[in-house]
Formats: sequence, structure tokens, C-alpha cells
Amino acid sequence: MAENFNDDERLLAELGEAVRASSEVPARFVELGRAAFTWRTIDAELAALAYDSAASELVAETRAEPAELRALTFVASRLTIEIEVAPDALLGQLVPPQQGSVELHGRDGVANTTRADDVGWFAIRPLPSGLFRLRVRPDGGSAVVTEWAML
Amino acid sequence: MIAAMRNDPIVVDLVNRARDGDKAAWDQIVERYATLVWSMCHRHGLSGEDADDVGASVWLRLVEKLDTLHEPAALPGWIATTARRECLHLLRVRKRQIPVGDERFPDTAGPASDEWLLRHERQIALREAFAQLPERCRLLLSMLFSDPPTPYSEISTRLDMPIGGIGPSRLRCLQKLRDLPVIAALLNAPQSTADKG
Repeated sequence: MAENFNDDERLLAELGEAVRASSEVPARFVELGRAAFTWRTIDAELAALAYDSAASELVAETRAEPAELRALTFVASRLTIEIEVAPDALLGQLVPPQQGSVELHGRDGVANTTRADDVGWFAIRPLPSGLFRLRVRPDGGSAVVTEWAML
Repeated sequence: MIAAMRNDPIVVDLVNRARDGDKAAWDQIVERYATLVWSMCHRHGLSGEDADDVGASVWLRLVEKLDTLHEPAALPGWIATTARRECLHLLRVRKRQIPVGDERFPDTAGPASDEWLLRHERQIALREAFAQLPERCRLLLSMLFSDPPTPYSEISTRLDMPIGGIGPSRLRCLQKLRDLPVIAALLNAPQSTADKG
């Protein structure tokens, strides 16, 4: 392959292809990559995605039964965050049940803030779209952020 | 199989600097590989907001992965694998059809994807080398590889160069490109099995 570079015509053709491929990429697409670096330092424990019902379905259309709500579970050392994606809201449960603040982060920053009640339940409306993560700070506890998830 | 570029010292250096919080190094990583991610979206039929979600997802995951990326040189492979997984995941959660052609690219360890990734890594090297050429060479080569190619008469006018000088200049510029370390490394790299046939 690389020896093709010794051939002027091929080198020029491949160079053209390479430069054109990059000029087709929208500036916005590159910019959101640059902006991601602001997430480099997070002063919170990461809660890993332990379960995603969407990841276990092969092709949704082939299922005959009505679609269930998508469910996601994020696990940190002392806190588990369970989420269901309802048609109009993200419904969440902190385990073990406890009060705390819940922030919804989109890829552009904080989109919404709410509270988990005394049984650890919370709802985020409206339903976000695209990429999101939650930052949960239990009252009297330390903050946890979930991995990024896609809706 | 694609060990050639996997030892790319530029990548290792960029990853190490980004780990230390160097934003400029991070930007360079994004600029190098954005085309690869975009191209992966394109082959899964994704554009607009969908492609942006996949792109953001790849970069946000990489930001968190930086500290635990044991082999910085394996970055291109990691980016390609993650981009592909995010494309398929997005198609699944948004209940879209997975493109029929996708089974030709069944997993990122297969030879088809190795060739795809290798081609992208060559393109990255070519773009980097191109950016290092003198401006006059870049102008000349751009006009020559444009589709359709610019007529010699127009090149002559725009570069203020006799028509008879275009051929020799083209030769010199391409040789300059070959002599750049990033391309010389490709030329000297051991060939993958696909190339030997």
C-alpha cells in the first residue's frame, strides 16, 4: 500500500482524497470534540453504567410485545442510580433511598436541576434528548456522576 | 496487523500531554481523528444531530479514558471501535434500521476494519504532511488534486508560473511531501499482510 506513494499519480490522488475527506467534516463537529475537554476534571466519583435495557435488545422492531420502558442502572461504590425513560420524563431512584440534589448535564452543560425526595425518587422533565449524564449529591454525602448515556 | 501506525510517536506524545491537562494537545487529537469519527457516522447513515451525538460521545468517553489508556499508541483503534459502537447504539436506542451493509464490517478486529482504519491513518498522515508543506506547494497541489483538476493555463495565471514549470514543480512538491518524517515513516513501515499479496 504505502509503496504507492512512490507513484506521483497515486500519491496525488490519495492526498486529494485525504484533504477532501477532512473538508467535508462540519466545523461544529470538530468544535464539540474540542469542548469535551472541559469535562477533564470532575470532582466526583464516576458511576459506571451497569445495565442498559437498550443494549440487550437486538432489533426492537422484531419484538411482538409492547416496548417496555428503557431502563438504565449506574453503580458507584456507595450509591446506585436507577433510571427509567418514560415518554415525558426521566424517572429515577437512588439506592439506598436518600434525599439529595440531582443535576442533569447535556453535552452543552447543566440542563436541569431537581431533588430526590426522602425515598430517593426523582423525576426530570422535560425528557432530555441525545447525550446526558446525572450528577447526584446525596445530602451529607459526596457527589457522584454517571457515565454518559445516549437517549 | 496495523502495527505500522500504532507506534506513532506523535499520538503517544499528544496523549501524554493531554493527560497532563494540555488543552492544545487535546485539540490536536480531536482535529486529527474527527474525520475518522465523521466517516464512521457517514457509513452508518448518520448525520446532523445524530452524528453530533456520536461524536460528542466518543470525545467525552475519551476524556474519561485518557488516564487509563494503557497503550496511547492504540488510540486510533480505540476511537474507531468506540465510534462504531456508539453509531450502532444510537441506531438501536432510536430504533432505526441498521444499514444492510454493516455485516461486511462485523467486528472491529476483522481484516475489513483493519484496512479501513489503516486507510484513515494514512489519510491522517497525508493531511499532516500536507499542512507542513510550503504554501506555494499546497496551492499548486490543491489545484492539481481538485476534482476536476484545474487546467494548467489557470494554474499558470494564479501562481504566476510558466506552464512548463508546473510539471517540475509538482514533482518537487510531491518529493517534499515524501521526505517529511510523517510520510517517510509510512514508507519505511513494515507492510501489513494485505499489502504483500
